[in-house]
Amino acid sequence: MNDSLRDRAFGIVSYVFIGVFALFCFLPFWMMISGSFTKESELILNGYSLFPESFSTTAYTVLLQSKLLWSSYVNTALITVVGTALALFISAMLAYSLANGRNTLRGGMLAFVYFPMLFYGGLIPFYITVSKYLHLSNTLWAVILPLVCQPFLVFLMVNFFRTLPKELEESARIDGAHEFNVFIRIMIPISKPILATVALFYALGYWNDWFMSLLFIDEESKYPLQLILRRMVSNLEAAKSLIPSNAGISIESPLLGVRMSTTIVTIGPIVLLYPLLQKYFVKGLTIGAVKG
Amino acid sequence: MSQAVLANNSPAIAFALSVLRTKEIVALKNKIMESCRQAFKSPFLILLAVPGLITLFIFNYLPMYGVLLAFKDFDYSKGIWGSSWVGLKNFEYFLTSSQLFVVIRNTLLLNVAFIVSQTIAALAIAVLLNEIRIKWFARLSQSVIFLPYFMSWIVVGMITQSMLGGQNPTVNEWLIQLGLSEVNWYFEAHLWPWILSVIKVWHGAGYFAIIYLAAITSIPEDLYEAAKIDGASRFQAVRKITLPLLIPTISILTLLLIGRIFNGDFAMIYAIVGDNALLFPTTDVIDTYVYRSMRVLNDFGMSSAVGLFQSVMGLVLVLAVNSFVRRVSKESALF
Repeated sequence: MNDSLRDRAFGIVSYVFIGVFALFCFLPFWMMISGSFTKESELILNGYSLFPESFSTTAYTVLLQSKLLWSSYVNTALITVVGTALALFISAMLAYSLANGRNTLRGGMLAFVYFPMLFYGGLIPFYITVSKYLHLSNTLWAVILPLVCQPFLVFLMVNFFRTLPKELEESARIDGAHEFNVFIRIMIPISKPILATVALFYALGYWNDWFMSLLFIDEESKYPLQLILRRMVSNLEAAKSLIPSNAGISIESPLLGVRMSTTIVTIGPIVLLYPLLQKYFVKGLTIGAVKG
Repeated sequence: MSQAVLANNSPAIAFALSVLRTKEIVALKNKIMESCRQAFKSPFLILLAVPGLITLFIFNYLPMYGVLLAFKDFDYSKGIWGSSWVGLKNFEYFLTSSQLFVVIRNTLLLNVAFIVSQTIAALAIAVLLNEIRIKWFARLSQSVIFLPYFMSWIVVGMITQSMLGGQNPTVNEWLIQLGLSEVNWYFEAHLWPWILSVIKVWHGAGYFAIIYLAAITSIPEDLYEAAKIDGASRFQAVRKITLPLLIPTISILTLLLIGRIFNGDFAMIYAIVGDNALLFPTTDVIDTYVYRSMRVLNDFGMSSAVGLFQSVMGLVLVLAVNSFVRRVSKESALF
């Protein structure tokens, strides 16, 4: 076999491997979409299939009338929006302070922010702190606040702020601008790319979080989407709570279908924002990779 | 009486005062005062940091104080400080239970399986994706391969359940069509380390592939051109240039993961396995065990003992790994 032929063979292997792996990654999404549009009777008989033999949108129309779904959607949206805004605000301020050479307490502060990445107090003390001493159980704050300042993301921003030219800040201050204005008017606008990256990291974390709500939220009206979904993973009957009794469905309740349509609705915003997410995540990852 | 005591102690007090006045102490005091003064020169910068530092203090440092629980018989109504001390009883209990061995073994084995399978898959994806010349195909497949990383573990658990669970598991339908026999997935504990590894690869290989791909694109192009002139095939170039130059990145990522080998992935495993006790023999990790003993058994003392053991092992490992990384390449070390 000569060289060019060998190169071609290697090329073909690359295409086949990447193609197959991409299909493997995509298949579950396709199965969920197809499953959510399949008639319940077919799902019960044959399980989920690649192409629905009998098309039906019942799983979605039922979901649209579900009060529980709407309330959990609102909860998740609230957690994500408020959490991301607060987290971005707090982390950017902290990172800016840590990156600035004029902050004389910087050394100690850096160590203080770094240490939690090394040592974790443990689940039990954390649980007791939040529920017994802060009394945050059954509030959305119990989900928002613990995730509001993540050292890894703070350091991602610190690394970025350090690359900004010092002269920019100095000249503005010499011109008599107050520190606050320097931060808000100059530093924040030129840091948009890193702020977007970190905001998306936080937003994804909040949208996908279920651990905090599993620990601290018991009231159904405060459930985020992920917990509603979780209940249905282990217990098929739980899907019933999403189906209003007055939905007017003469046939059996579409339990299997509703599981799929709820999943689709849960991942919907992520898939819609995916081009944006991907772009900024790749950016964030490569900054991190260059830094080690 | 009290005067006598004071008189008896006065040399000690005088000594203590003289210590306070020694040069070093005074220097230290001055230094602290000086940095406080300095801090007030840029009060705005300090102010900016305060909200972040406070949240870290509350949610990360206060729980550290709670490690004391491991040595107490915790009573929820009495709080952490009010509960009575029991010494090492909590540790004794969990060290003698046979479950501990299983749980630690599962944590380590699963993490090793995850590290190996993810690294191999991510490397293969990165290297082969780099060979693809049709731009739209490369971009599209990279996007699709990265997509699962953005799914919550609950969604992954739902997918797993609908593929392997239910009355007629979807995967079993495929097995029948291929002429193979059906498998009762949720009853076969020994299969689950493999299933979880496949899921981990599905979820995270794209993420690591992007880091490797970034490292590959930073390899200078002239190396490949020189190899081509010397008559090397693409495959040889990958084997002799790309892979050797990736070794630093591979070892650092792997070492970082090894530093966290005592931490079971609670969000993943609990979302997928849940409370299915049939699968515990191979899938129960330290983190799920601690959670269950807290929530189901209400045994706070024992579970915080396990948690403390895990935190300390984790800290030791991270420090060991870091000092090792620092010896190999300084700029890759964490600190």
